[in-house]
Amino acid sequence: MYNEQEILSTIEMVKNEHLDVRAVTLGISLFDCVSHDLTVFKKNIRAKILRNAADLVRVCDFVGDKYGIAVVNKRISLSPIGLVGAPFSAPQMVEIAHELNDIAKTVNIDFMGGFSALVEKGIAPGDRALMDALPQALAQTQRLCASVNVATTRSGINMDAVYEMARVIKKAAALTADDDGLGCAKLCVFCNIPQDMPFMAGAYLGVGVGDAVINVGVSGPGVVKKAIERALEKSPGLRLGQIAEIIKTTACKVTRVGELIGREVADTLNIRFGVVDLSLAPTPTVGDSIGEIFQALGLTSIGVPGSTAALAMLNDAVKKGGAFASSHVGGLSGAFIPVTEDLNIAEAAAKGYLTIEKLEAMTCVCSVGLDMVPVPGAITEETLAGIIADEMAIGMINNKTTATRIIPVPGKKAGEKVSFGGLLGASQIMDVPHAHLRDTFVKQGGRIPAPIHSMKN
Amino acid sequence: MEKLIITVLGKDRPGIIAKVSASLYALDCNLQNVNQMILQNEFSGFFIVEPPEALGMNALQQRLDQDLSGDGLQVYIDQISPSDGKQVSGTSETFLITTIGPDQKGLVARFTQIIAAHRVNVTNLTAVFKGGEDPNANIMVYEVAVTHTTDQANLFEALRTKAAELGLDISIQHKNIFETINKI
Repeated sequence: MYNEQEILSTIEMVKNEHLDVRAVTLGISLFDCVSHDLTVFKKNIRAKILRNAADLVRVCDFVGDKYGIAVVNKRISLSPIGLVGAPFSAPQMVEIAHELNDIAKTVNIDFMGGFSALVEKGIAPGDRALMDALPQALAQTQRLCASVNVATTRSGINMDAVYEMARVIKKAAALTADDDGLGCAKLCVFCNIPQDMPFMAGAYLGVGVGDAVINVGVSGPGVVKKAIERALEKSPGLRLGQIAEIIKTTACKVTRVGELIGREVADTLNIRFGVVDLSLAPTPTVGDSIGEIFQALGLTSIGVPGSTAALAMLNDAVKKGGAFASSHVGGLSGAFIPVTEDLNIAEAAAKGYLTIEKLEAMTCVCSVGLDMVPVPGAITEETLAGIIADEMAIGMINNKTTATRIIPVPGKKAGEKVSFGGLLGASQIMDVPHAHLRDTFVKQGGRIPAPIHSMKN
Repeated sequence: MEKLIITVLGKDRPGIIAKVSASLYALDCNLQNVNQMILQNEFSGFFIVEPPEALGMNALQQRLDQDLSGDGLQVYIDQISPSDGKQVSGTSETFLITTIGPDQKGLVARFTQIIAAHRVNVTNLTAVFKGGEDPNANIMVYEVAVTHTTDQANLFEALRTKAAELGLDISIQHKNIFETINKI
């Protein structure tokens, strides 16, 4: 039997502190579906996905109900379509996108990831076709997510791909202008993309990861915030080392919940369990915010001086707690700071506490990058490519994942409001200094060589 | 001789277990299980013992009454039939049903009736009703063993409906979630 306190604190975490399993993501390899014939390819992928995923949503709901922990999103990640669909042209890639979107609806998942290309060292024909297809594919589908890896620490930055992606983003925004550029919210540009990440929009199934695997993304910024607040209420003089310890312990509990749910879903579906991604992922709900953790730590708002240090401590403590809780940790595992998806971060941006430059600085010490950042629609391709290149450089040099999910909102200026609905949230458009520049640096093309510490062999 | 279960009830104070166990030791009884509980200030203790062949139940009762009645403790002795040990069989999964909310008469009766109607065994129950404003001061926690023959969905639905009717906040969760979060 458990004591009253243990029972009540567990119920409190679930009911009032928004502890949930953010995503159970079923990775499915499509390499055995390959064909030069588009009809055969589409038939093969449909059969394979339905074979593995037909019961995914039902099982996730059942397991979630059993433990009283909601599995908020059920998703599928696929082998990079740029690889498995290598023989196809850009218009054919758009057809594949439609097929995948339709399959996602059939199995009732909210997002399907893996419309992806890995181009850190060069762009193969399949990758080219996929990148050319991206604007239309994103504009014409609802549930498809795309990612393009343009840099790694081992390979350097493919600047041709960076510039190309800036153009793709602008086009995708233009094609979804009626929805404030929503197409771009489903597209991530990566450095060091993880092969096993359960979170969208960047989830895809890596080449060496096997045939089918369940990866789990936990969440729980509200639980961490409450734990800090409770501790400080009890002893206001806590030192930061002690606060880090509290974050670590809390992250450990949260991770164990994720692993419990993930393993049971995997066992029930008879699919291998992969990793727990122990990221703190916010939603646009009060009490489910990363930004609020900064305030619990005594900062006026995320973005003020001290924020990078606080985030570094938070991110590290989350990793340490999670690493102790699970022997298979993967994905991004850290703190997310998506602007529109976090009510508090969106507010910090609106009030001027958080600027795009500070956001970039903070990505040096946390697990993602410039995530869900709406920028003025008039931003030039050159400036956009410059921002992407800067973010990729941070990832490349620091041997970590970074990504951008920037949304140029057509026809809107800094300070105007934008709303993408649901978990994608809302915020004001962030100001980008010098957005009009057309500097030639990014158009020089070629590759920025891999850093010296890539030579480890 | 068959095993005996001895129940001791009375006002709690230091030394009750010491006294009971000393008497049992003096009579050469082998103590197999002991459990005690204090509800508010009332002590209740359960002792399962294996008495020596020569010791009758009446003799044991007399001796314990003599040793304990001075402290206002009441003693009840019963035989345990051997078949009782086999009652719990088959695989079951343990769920915790927790309700939080205002105290009112008949709460335990209403919930246990639903549980019993589904032929589910309550393996542990804690109910604390302190009244007052703090919702956490009025809670019930039922630990129940759900078997493969239980209509789980129907049971949980009935409990949720009853809780809503009574204005209680109910949580029904498999015990592993508490294990996972609290026992590292």
